[in-house]
Amino acid sequence: MTRFLAVLMAMFFAVTVAYAAAPAPPTDVVATDEPNDVGNQVQLTWKGSAGGAAGYMIFRKAVVGDQLSGASQLESVGETATGVTEPVNPEGPDGAVRIEDLSFADDEPIAAVSGGETSYLDETVEAGTSYMYAVQAVSATNEVSPLAITEKPVTPTWDWINESKLWFLFIMLTISLVVILFVMIAKSGRPVKVRKIAGLEAVNEAVGRATEMGRSCLFVPGILDINDIQTVAGLTVLSNVAKTAAKYDAKLEVPTARSLVMTAARETVQGSFLSAGRPDAYNEDDIYYLTDEQFGYTAGVQGKMVRDKPAACFYMGAFYAESLILAETGNAIGAIQVAGTAMPSQLPFFVAACDYTLIGEEFFAASAYLSGDPEQLGSLKGQDMGKVIAALLIVLGCLFSTLFVLTQSEKLGEISAYISENILGEEGLELNDSQRENIQAQMDQTKAVEARNKSMAELRQSILDRAAGADGT
Amino acid sequence: MTTALDPEKIKVILATDCGSTTTKAILIQYVDGEYRQTHRGEAPTTVEKPFADVTMGVVNSVTEIGELANRRFIDDDGKIISPATETEGCDIYISTSSAGGGLQMMVAGVVREMTGDSAKRAALGAGAIVMDVIASNDDRRPHEQIQRIRDLRPDMILISGGIDGGTTTHVIQICELVAPAKPQPRFGSDYEMPIIYAGNKEARDSVTDVFREGGFDLQICENLRPVLEMENLGPARDKIHDIFLEHVMAQAPGYDKLMTWTDAPIMPTPGAVGDILQTVARIQGINVVGVDIGGATTDVFSVFDETFNRTVSANLGMSYSISNVCAEATMPNVLRWVPFDMDERQLRNHVKNKMIRPTTIPQTKEALMFEQAVAREALRLAYIQHKEFATTLKGVQKQRTVGDTFSQESTGDTIVNNMKLDLLVASGGVLSHAPRMHQTAMLLIDAFEPEGVTRLAKDSIFMMPHLGVLSAVHPQAATQVFDRDCLIYLGTCVAGKGLPKPGKTCFKYTVKGDTLNESGEIRGGDITMLPLEPGQTATIECDPARGIDLGAGPGKRITKDVQGGTVGLILDGRGRPLALPEDRATCQATIGKWIEGVQMYEEEAVAV
Repeated sequence: MTRFLAVLMAMFFAVTVAYAAAPAPPTDVVATDEPNDVGNQVQLTWKGSAGGAAGYMIFRKAVVGDQLSGASQLESVGETATGVTEPVNPEGPDGAVRIEDLSFADDEPIAAVSGGETSYLDETVEAGTSYMYAVQAVSATNEVSPLAITEKPVTPTWDWINESKLWFLFIMLTISLVVILFVMIAKSGRPVKVRKIAGLEAVNEAVGRATEMGRSCLFVPGILDINDIQTVAGLTVLSNVAKTAAKYDAKLEVPTARSLVMTAARETVQGSFLSAGRPDAYNEDDIYYLTDEQFGYTAGVQGKMVRDKPAACFYMGAFYAESLILAETGNAIGAIQVAGTAMPSQLPFFVAACDYTLIGEEFFAASAYLSGDPEQLGSLKGQDMGKVIAALLIVLGCLFSTLFVLTQSEKLGEISAYISENILGEEGLELNDSQRENIQAQMDQTKAVEARNKSMAELRQSILDRAAGADGT
Repeated sequence: MTTALDPEKIKVILATDCGSTTTKAILIQYVDGEYRQTHRGEAPTTVEKPFADVTMGVVNSVTEIGELANRRFIDDDGKIISPATETEGCDIYISTSSAGGGLQMMVAGVVREMTGDSAKRAALGAGAIVMDVIASNDDRRPHEQIQRIRDLRPDMILISGGIDGGTTTHVIQICELVAPAKPQPRFGSDYEMPIIYAGNKEARDSVTDVFREGGFDLQICENLRPVLEMENLGPARDKIHDIFLEHVMAQAPGYDKLMTWTDAPIMPTPGAVGDILQTVARIQGINVVGVDIGGATTDVFSVFDETFNRTVSANLGMSYSISNVCAEATMPNVLRWVPFDMDERQLRNHVKNKMIRPTTIPQTKEALMFEQAVAREALRLAYIQHKEFATTLKGVQKQRTVGDTFSQESTGDTIVNNMKLDLLVASGGVLSHAPRMHQTAMLLIDAFEPEGVTRLAKDSIFMMPHLGVLSAVHPQAATQVFDRDCLIYLGTCVAGKGLPKPGKTCFKYTVKGDTLNESGEIRGGDITMLPLEPGQTATIECDPARGIDLGAGPGKRITKDVQGGTVGLILDGRGRPLALPEDRATCQATIGKWIEGVQMYEEEAVAV
């Protein structure tokens, strides 16, 4: 009995000691400058505390100096380093200490991570400043280990080229060169072929219809303000509509939902009438403000349409629920209607109710299309080339990914990963080990699934065979 | 003019066409249960001084026919004998006229592409030459428009504009341009300028007020565009014909007398050609394109889905306008059809000689090839102009569904569709009088690029104008003669739409007929000919290569009956649109191969 009690006490003592003892410090603490940034990141890595830890606390100190020569990497609080070489940053920032005076005593940790972590990305550093880091393991009872300090200071630097996005740079340069090339081609007088956009071609026809019928043209520039790009694109089309109306001597009305849009529309229409040689025909009262209220505006425009029965209605800008109300009213009064918007949810309504609809990109291309300006046309063609490149990469990516899944070929996996993670992602020019490991992991996972499926199939077959045998007996 | 006869009793028909230089007469008789053209005669037109009487030329040409037919047509008073007996006279006499430059008009509309085009279509359909179109959006300032109206000397003016209940302001504005300009007519100083108003009916009173003074003869007819969705060209065309007879013809020497002889109103020649093509298209249910290439102008007529269109390309012709053809088409484009090198200086001399001596004909094979190269380009350009003009109506509201999201077709698309074309008819000196029919056929194929299965024909003696007038009196006789005597069928062309790869299969064919049973394949870039005599038919089954359309869709098999002709069955694997190599040497070799393929210039067969 005495012996049993002695053993029990020894065990209790051991557990208490173990519970109260400080954890071992982490080892191999290394701080490195994170590449491809503007010098605001430092990557800190370490090996976990022997015996485990509940968490780690990170300390940082701006220093002047280069490294802790001859000093132990495991210093207790209050110990100092000696043998410092030439300082990297002799001046140092405010609050920086000379490296030989380095001490983390009384410092608050800059971050704390859980015990499972072995790295930390410090994103609060300044480029050009040298830092020393220390990591301290913390036990579940808040016992702390001695500090593990980095061997040498790290100085984050500004990287002028983000190598992880070199592909982005290449693609951007290619598109820029293509834009410049097409601009030069257009300027040289060679025709730049732009697909015929029926909606823009129909402007003359719609205004002509209004002229023959002796009725007005109605232009609705959407319900958003002038800061919306769709409203700006709409005003570009308005310029052309107004010029045509001036040429045909047709009346043009522009009800607006925003005062700034009204002002911009007035200037646009006035400019168009002037360039058409008909400044006398411009009447600023035809471009007016109704209300900011969405459905108040809609009701106002709708009433105008029902009363005046314009022969041509243009809806160019940003629209919401009022799109179908306006387009259906226009259809009912027998007007030729041309709509243009980049609101995907409203496009089906416009397509169904209007004669012509400019869809998204077509709407934004209107300026180049209508002006025929070589610079704008060249830019348009260049952007198209960019879209072609993007579409091509997507198609190729899908193709190689599918083939990789089907064939489990490592080469195809690498091509697929290269397209999605290097060309379209941020992995730089070459495949790295991590990517290769991922590919291998995917292949292993697939093999494991196949093996499991195979064994399941065999098991199922053996059960079936056994069941068949039992039935036979 | 005699009273109308029962068509059943019409057995002898005499028709004349008074051209600028020649008056052509034909005799149509009821023989063995059908109408046939039996004799023809020609005489110089006598509208100019010293004769100054168009009927003299008519009498001369008819007398020639009488001698050939051993039948007396002219009585002792110099008039045409009617009705017919066993040995003399005719049951009806009809005539067309293009003497003195034909009918020349100016038209006006509010919007050029809408009522302006409708007015132009009405005038062209009536057989007129449209000198200019005045519209509120024609990019000319009012003083420029007035100056232009002053400079023109049209036979009449057609003003249109505004739908019924539409704009009146623009219409009055146009009238107020015309009235002070005081355009002078071509003939007769005491002659009041006829103005036809065919616009918004609500503007009639105001228009009448504008033209009340100033020596205008204002005639009002129904709006030719009562709504934008529909054209109503008939009343305007009829009014043009009436004024043509009452005013224009009455001013020309001898026409007042000629009008009393005819049993149907005298029609402008192109209008009559349009009428016969429409009649044939309607009765046979086919789509037709006709072309008449002259010295100064080229007329193109088309009937697609019963819609008739006519264009006059005023500066495309083979003599007076040949320089313009070369300028507009450019010399490299002309020379691409010639299989050998030609000295450009010599060619220029040739062109200018042809321009100042319009009646000369090529004396060498090289000169003939060059002239036919120019003809190809003139026809091609005229057809392009025709396609641009023959369109659906503009300004029409479209009904859409969500399915139209990515295929929003615009209005104003051409209605000319070569794949739907059934019959292509050629007339005019360079086509009708080519030494070999094969040349006529190739000129048509190269210039018009028919697709699918298309029958080719030429007007043997330019009989279409006569038959056009006849179609108004006796449609049955007109179509019978058109089919049997007017047209010389050259054969049938089978051509694929799409671009075949050179040397690769364009389509495989099997032809089965009484005299022709063959099968084989046509390779990309090749053209060949199979013998199928006039009057013979065969059935052709074609399997086109992928992407090649012969009428049933790309790559889909067709089976069709084909008719023979003097040339035969032409199988064209060159693709559409027709593309010639840019390299001169390669182009020459290619053309040489094509010429050989259809035996265009076989020496032994050259007619003299």
